Amino acid sequence: MTNAMPRGSVRFDRVVKRYGSVTALKELSLEIQPGTLVTLLGPSGCGKTTTLRLIAGLESASEGHLFIGGKDVTHLSASYRKVSMVFQSYALFPHMTVLENVAYGLTVKRMGKAEAEQRAEAGLEMVGLKGFGKRLPSELSGGQQQRVAVARAIVLEPEVLLLDEPLSNLDAKLRRHVREEIREIQQRLGLTAVYVTHDQEEAMAVSDRIIVMRNAEIAQEGSPHDLYERPASAFIADFIGDANLVDVEITANAPSGPEITVGGKTLVLPPTNLKAGPAKLVLRPHQIKLCPSPSAATFPAEITYAAYLGNQIQYSLQGELGSLFAVALPVADAPRVGSSVFVSFDPTEARLVPA
Amino acid sequence: MKKTTALWLALGMAGYVLLPWYRTETGIFDPTTLAAYFSGDLRSGLAHMLFHGRWWLVAPLVGFTGSLIVLFFIKAQRHAAIGLVSFAALGLALTALQGVLVVASGSHLLWLVGTDAAQESMGIGALLSFVGLLFTLTTGISGLGNGRGDAFICGLIGAIVASVGVFVFYPVSHVLVRAFELPGGAGYGLAEFLPSLFSAEIWGVRCLVFAGSCGAGTNSLLLALMTGLGTTVLGLAFALIFTRTNFKAKGLLRALTIIPIITPPFVIGLALILLFGRSGTVTNFFADVFALERTRWLYGFWGVYLAQVLSFTPIAFLVLIGVVEGVSPSMEEASQTLDADRWQTFRYVSLPLMRPGLANAFLLGFIESLADFGNPLVLGGNFNVLSTEIYFAIVGAVADPARAAILSIALLLMTLGAFLAQRRWVGKKSYTTVTGKADSGRHAALNPGLKAACYALALPWAAFTAIVYSMIAFGSLVKLWGYDHTFTFAHYARAFAVGFNNGVRFTGSAWDSFFTTLGIAAISAPLTALLGLATAYLLVRQRFFGKTVFEFSTMLSFAIPGTVIGVAYVMAFNFPPIELTGTAMVLVIVFVFRNMPVGVRGGIAAMSQLDKSLDEASTVLGANSFTTARRVLAPLLGPAILAAVTYSFVRSITSVSAVIFLVSARYNMATSFIVGRVENGDFGVAIAYSAVLILTMLAAILTLQFAIGQRRLRRTNRLETA
Amino acid sequence: MKLKSLILSSALMTVAAASAAAGELSVVCSSEQDHCDLVANEFRAASGADISMIRKSTGETLAQIRAETGNPKIDVWFAGTGDPHMIAAEENLTEASGADTTNLLGWAKNMAEITGGKAIGVYAGALAIAYNTELLKEKGLKAPACWKDLADPAYRGEIQVSNPNSSGTAYTEIATLVQLFDEDEAFRLLAEIGKNVNQYTKSGSAPVKAAARGESVIAIGFMANMVQQKMSGFPLEIVAPCEGTGYEVGAVSMIKGTKNAAAAKQFVDFVLSPDGQKLGAQAQSFQTPSNLNTPVPPEVGNLSSVKLIDYDFATFGSSKTREKLLARWNAEVKSAGGAIEQ
Repeated sequence: MTNAMPRGSVRFDRVVKRYGSVTALKELSLEIQPGTLVTLLGPSGCGKTTTLRLIAGLESASEGHLFIGGKDVTHLSASYRKVSMVFQSYALFPHMTVLENVAYGLTVKRMGKAEAEQRAEAGLEMVGLKGFGKRLPSELSGGQQQRVAVARAIVLEPEVLLLDEPLSNLDAKLRRHVREEIREIQQRLGLTAVYVTHDQEEAMAVSDRIIVMRNAEIAQEGSPHDLYERPASAFIADFIGDANLVDVEITANAPSGPEITVGGKTLVLPPTNLKAGPAKLVLRPHQIKLCPSPSAATFPAEITYAAYLGNQIQYSLQGELGSLFAVALPVADAPRVGSSVFVSFDPTEARLVPA
Repeated sequence: MKKTTALWLALGMAGYVLLPWYRTETGIFDPTTLAAYFSGDLRSGLAHMLFHGRWWLVAPLVGFTGSLIVLFFIKAQRHAAIGLVSFAALGLALTALQGVLVVASGSHLLWLVGTDAAQESMGIGALLSFVGLLFTLTTGISGLGNGRGDAFICGLIGAIVASVGVFVFYPVSHVLVRAFELPGGAGYGLAEFLPSLFSAEIWGVRCLVFAGSCGAGTNSLLLALMTGLGTTVLGLAFALIFTRTNFKAKGLLRALTIIPIITPPFVIGLALILLFGRSGTVTNFFADVFALERTRWLYGFWGVYLAQVLSFTPIAFLVLIGVVEGVSPSMEEASQTLDADRWQTFRYVSLPLMRPGLANAFLLGFIESLADFGNPLVLGGNFNVLSTEIYFAIVGAVADPARAAILSIALLLMTLGAFLAQRRWVGKKSYTTVTGKADSGRHAALNPGLKAACYALALPWAAFTAIVYSMIAFGSLVKLWGYDHTFTFAHYARAFAVGFNNGVRFTGSAWDSFFTTLGIAAISAPLTALLGLATAYLLVRQRFFGKTVFEFSTMLSFAIPGTVIGVAYVMAFNFPPIELTGTAMVLVIVFVFRNMPVGVRGGIAAMSQLDKSLDEASTVLGANSFTTARRVLAPLLGPAILAAVTYSFVRSITSVSAVIFLVSARYNMATSFIVGRVENGDFGVAIAYSAVLILTMLAAILTLQFAIGQRRLRRTNRLETA
Repeated sequence: MKLKSLILSSALMTVAAASAAAGELSVVCSSEQDHCDLVANEFRAASGADISMIRKSTGETLAQIRAETGNPKIDVWFAGTGDPHMIAAEENLTEASGADTTNLLGWAKNMAEITGGKAIGVYAGALAIAYNTELLKEKGLKAPACWKDLADPAYRGEIQVSNPNSSGTAYTEIATLVQLFDEDEAFRLLAEIGKNVNQYTKSGSAPVKAAARGESVIAIGFMANMVQQKMSGFPLEIVAPCEGTGYEVGAVSMIKGTKNAAAAKQFVDFVLSPDGQKLGAQAQSFQTPSNLNTPVPPEVGNLSSVKLIDYDFATFGSSKTREKLLARWNAEVKSAGGAIEQ
C-alpha cells in the first residue's frame, strides 16, 4: 500500500433529491477538498445520509450535477465510481471469511486471487487485524468487525472514502479509540473522506471541516473551531457544543461592537453584523463563572441542580438570565443546590446570533 | 451505454439479416435445415422484405436503423438515450404488430390484414431481432438514469416484463376474452358478464345457514381460507421443530414433510379413500371395534380439506423454514435480556419477524387450494369448487368456454383479494434480520408449552403422512389394492420392464413418459428458479415504475387453474406468430411460467430478511448488480434457491391439469399417463408409477440439498439447550 | 446472464423446431391405454406407417380439437364414446374419411349416416347397472333387476351415478330412460332414483369403480367398465335392466385439415377392419366390435343377449336435445334432492 493514493475532490452543483413528494435535499452545493476529512453532521432526517449515498451512487440526483475528482458522475452507476463506503451496520458478508470480505472489492475488479489476498492481508494489518483472515465475521467482536469494514473499504484505494455513522454500534471507549484510528489512517493515506454522524463531539474530534445540515440543506459549514467559536445561528450554537441561549436586545450597533441590554444591564460585545433588535446571546457553559457575592457585572441566580463528575461539576441555574447550564472545576467550597450565586461572564468571549 | 447498445443491435441485426426469419420444421442445426438455408429456401427477414414482397417485415429495420443513426450521430448522452428508447420501442411495437396482424388462420383474438399475406410462425431470426431491440430499449432506458443507470437491472426488468407478457398475458387473454362473449355470436359486451360473475350459482351462501349448498365460489373461498390457515400453522410447527428443538428424528421428519409435495395427483386422494372411505381400512376398524356406522364423510369438504392440507403443508414448510432460520438470534437474545420469557420472546419478537414468511406461506396455500383440481375431483363428492367446475366447463359433456372464463375470473378475483390482503398485513415494516453485523447464533429454544403444542400438531400429522405413504407403497405391491392383497411385482414390471436382448431396451410402458418428464423437469426447474428469484430481487431491491402491477402479474399464472392455462396455451401457441404446440418447449415454458410465482414468493420472503446494506456494500466495492446477485445474494439465499429449484422440479413432474392439453404423443408426461390409468381403474400401475416418481424425486431433492447446502452465517447453528 | 438465457432459449428453440417433424400420423386415443398401445403397435406393423399415439379422455380431446381449429396437430381421433365425436362432426371439426362401411353393423352405419361419414362406429357398449355383492348382502338388500327398481327407498344413499353436465355416460342414461318411457315419466323416475343417489360423480366411470371398492352399493355405467372391474377380481355383479337399455357407440373421426390425410384414412380403415377390432378384446377392452366379421369376445357376450333399445342417435346426439334434457335434469332432478351428504 503506497501513500500516493488517488485523491478526489467532491463537488455538488445545485443537487436536488426528491422521493416522490418529499424533498430530501434542496439545491445542495458544496465542495470537498482532496485529502480532507469532512463530516456531515446533523439531526436525523436532515439529509446527511442522502448526501453520502448520492456520492456513493446508491441514490441518483433528481436535479443538478455531482463531480468526483472533477469528473461528472451524476449518471455513473455506483460500481463504476472510485468510492468506497463503511456502513453503519458494517454490512460484512456473513458467508465469507474476513479475508474474503476484505478481498471482495479487489476480486470483483478481476484482480488475481493471490494478489487480492495479499493486499487484503496488508489491509487487515493496517487496521490491526493481522491473522484474523480465516475467521467468519460472526466470530469477531463489534470493534473488530468495524475495522474489517474499514479495511475492506480502504484496500480499494478509493478516491473518496465514505463512512456512514461508522461508530454508532460501538461502546464509548472503543468509539474514541477507533475514531482516532480512522483519522490516523485517513491522514496517513491522504484520503478524501466524508463522514456522517449525528454526534457533534465525534465530528469535532475527527474532522478537517464540518458541514452541519438541517432540513435538507446546509446550515453552516466550517472548521470545528469556526463552528464552535462563530456559530451563524442559534441552531448551530446549540448543536455544536453546549450553549446557553439568552434572549437579548441589541440597542445600538457601533463599529467597535454592539451594545446590548440583558437582565437590565448594558454590555458591549465584539463586533457583529447583526442589526439592532432582538438577538440571542451564546454563553458556553465553561464561560459562566459563579461568584459568591454580587458585583456590577453579575446576575443573581439560584442553583437548582448540581452533578459531581470528578473532573468537573455541572450546574443548572435559574435566575435573571433564565435557566443556564454551567460547569466549574471542583473546589472544596463549591456551592450547593438551593444556594444563591451570582453569575458573570466575559463579554469579549460572548457571541451573538440571530434570534 | 453505447458499447452495450452496439452489441445488442449487432445481435438483433444478425438475426434479421442472416438467420431464417420463420420457424423451421427441423432444428436449426439439422442438415436439412442447413441445406435449405444455403440453397436460399430459408430466407432471412431482410430477404423476405426486399425480394419476396413481405414489405411489412421492414418493421424491425425501422428500429435497427433508427438506433444505429442515434448511436453514431448523437453525442449527448441524454439525447442519445431518448433516441434509442424511441426507435427501439417503435421497432418492437411494429414487429409485434405485424406478427399478430398478418396471419392467415387461427388466433381467435385477432384479425388478419389480407388472406394472401399468410405468415408462418416466427423463428430464430425473429427471436434474435426481438431480443436485440428489447435490450437496446432497456439499455436506452438505463441511459436515461432510471434504475440508477444500471443496464443490467433495466435489462432484467425488460426481459421479465416481455416474457411474462408473451407467455402469461398473451395466452390468458385468449381465454378471458370469452367471458365477455354475448350469446349467439353477437360480439362482446358486459351484458352477460356481470350478472354471471355475481350470480348465486357462484357466490351462494346457503350452506352457511345449513339450508342447502353453497356456490362453487363460496366453497372454494372457504376451502382455500381453511387450507391456507391449516398449512401455515402446520408448516410453522414443523419449521419450529426443525430449528428450535432438539428433536431426534429430524431426518425422518424432513422426508415426511417433503414427500407429499412430490406425490403425483390423485394418489393422496386414492390413499385416503382406502383408509377412510366407506370400505376403508380405518373405517372398517372402527366399524368392527366400535360398531360405528360406515359413512361417506370423506366425500365432501372434509375429505378435500384433509387431502389439501396433506398436499400443501410442505410448501408452507419450505417457505417458513428459511424464514424461521433467518430470524436473528440476537433479536431473540435482546428480548430475553429485556426480561421476556421464552413464550413472550416468541410471541412478540420471533413471530412478528416471521410475518412475511407466514403471509407468503398462507398466500401460497390459499392459491394452491383454489387452483387444486385433483383432490376435489377424487374426493369432492357433491362439494363443488371452482377449479373442477372450470375443468368440466371446458371438457365436460356440455363445453361452455364462456362459463369457464367467467369462473376463472371469479377465481382470479379471489387471488387478487388475497394478494392485496397479504400486502396490507405485511405492510411496510422492516423484517430485516440478517444485517451485515454478525451475531453469535444461538436460537432461543421454544418454551415448553409451545414445544408441546408443536409436537402435538406436527407429530400426529407426520405419523398420518407416514401411514398414507406406507399405504401407497403397499398398494403398488399388491394385486388389487383395496380388495385382493396378494403380493406381486406385476405393476412395476408392466410399467418399468427392461429387456436385455440386443443391449438394454426399456420395454415398460412408462419409460417414454418417464424420461420425457425428467428431462423437461430438469430443464425447467433451474430456469424457473432463476426467473423467480430474479423477479423477487427486482421486487425487493429495486424501485421502479409500476412495481405493484408487475408483482401481481407475476402471480397471475399461478392463480389461474391449470386447465385454463393449458387451453389458453393451445389457443395462443398453436398458431403463428408463435407456434409451439406439440413441442417439448411449450411444456418447459408452461412449467416455468406456472411455477415461477413460488420462486418469487420464496425469494421475496428470504430476501426481505437480508439487509439492503449488504448489496450496497457490494455495489460500492465496485461489483455490478450481476456480481452482487451472484456472489452476495445467491449464497445467502441458499435455502430459497433450493426451495425454488426443488419445488419447480417437483411441480413440473406432478402437475397435471395444465399439461393435459399440451402433451403430445412424442412428449407425454408421467402425470397424464397416470391419470389415464386412474381413469381406467388401473390403480396398480398408476400407483407403482407414482411410487417410482416419488423415489426419483426424493433422490433428486437430496442431491440438490447436498449440492446447494445450508448457508453458513454463524459458526454453527447451535441451539440453546432447553 | 442475459447472454446465457439467450443461448438457452435458442437451444430450446432448436429442440422445439426439431420436434415438429412432419409426416408422422398423430392419433389421440380415448380408449384404455393398453388398447391404445396395442392398436398403435399393430397399425405400425401392418402398414409400416409412422404413428404416434397419445391417450386423452374424450372431453379433453374435444377441447383440444376445438382450440386447434384451423391448424390441427392431431390427425385422427380414435375411440371414446360417440357423443363428443358427433358434436365434433356437428361443429365441423372433423371431416369424412370416405371409409367403407358395408361390413359394419347397423348402429355403426347409422352413426356414419347421421354425421355424413365424419364419425364411424367402432364398437358399442351397453349401459347397465352393477352392484357390489358383498355389500348388498351385508346390508340385506335385494338385487336390482330393472331401472324402476332403483327408485326403491331401500336403496337410499346407496346408488352412485355420474353427473350429465360433465359426463356422457349419465347423458346416455337420461336419453335411454327418455326413450324407454316418455319424457315426463323418465324425469319423474330420475328424480326418484335421485333421492337414492349418494353422489353425482364428475367422471362417468367413477361410480363403477366406487361400487367395485365398496364405496357405493350400486352403480350405473357402461358394461365394459363393469366387466373390466369384475375381471380384475372385485365382487361386482352386472345387471342388464329388464326394461331394456341404451348403449354408446365408440367412434373414429378424421380431424378436419389434417396434413396426413392418406395415412389417416389408412388408420380409419384399419380400426374398422376385423384385424384392428379384435385388438380390443386382446387388450381387455370388452366391447362389441362394429365389423360383422370381427370375432366377439366371449366375456362380452353378444349385445344381442342384452335387450337393447333402438337408440335414436340423430335426435339424442344433437346439441339442441342435449341442452333441453340437461336443463330439465338440472331443474327437476338435481334440485329434487338426493346427493344426501351435504
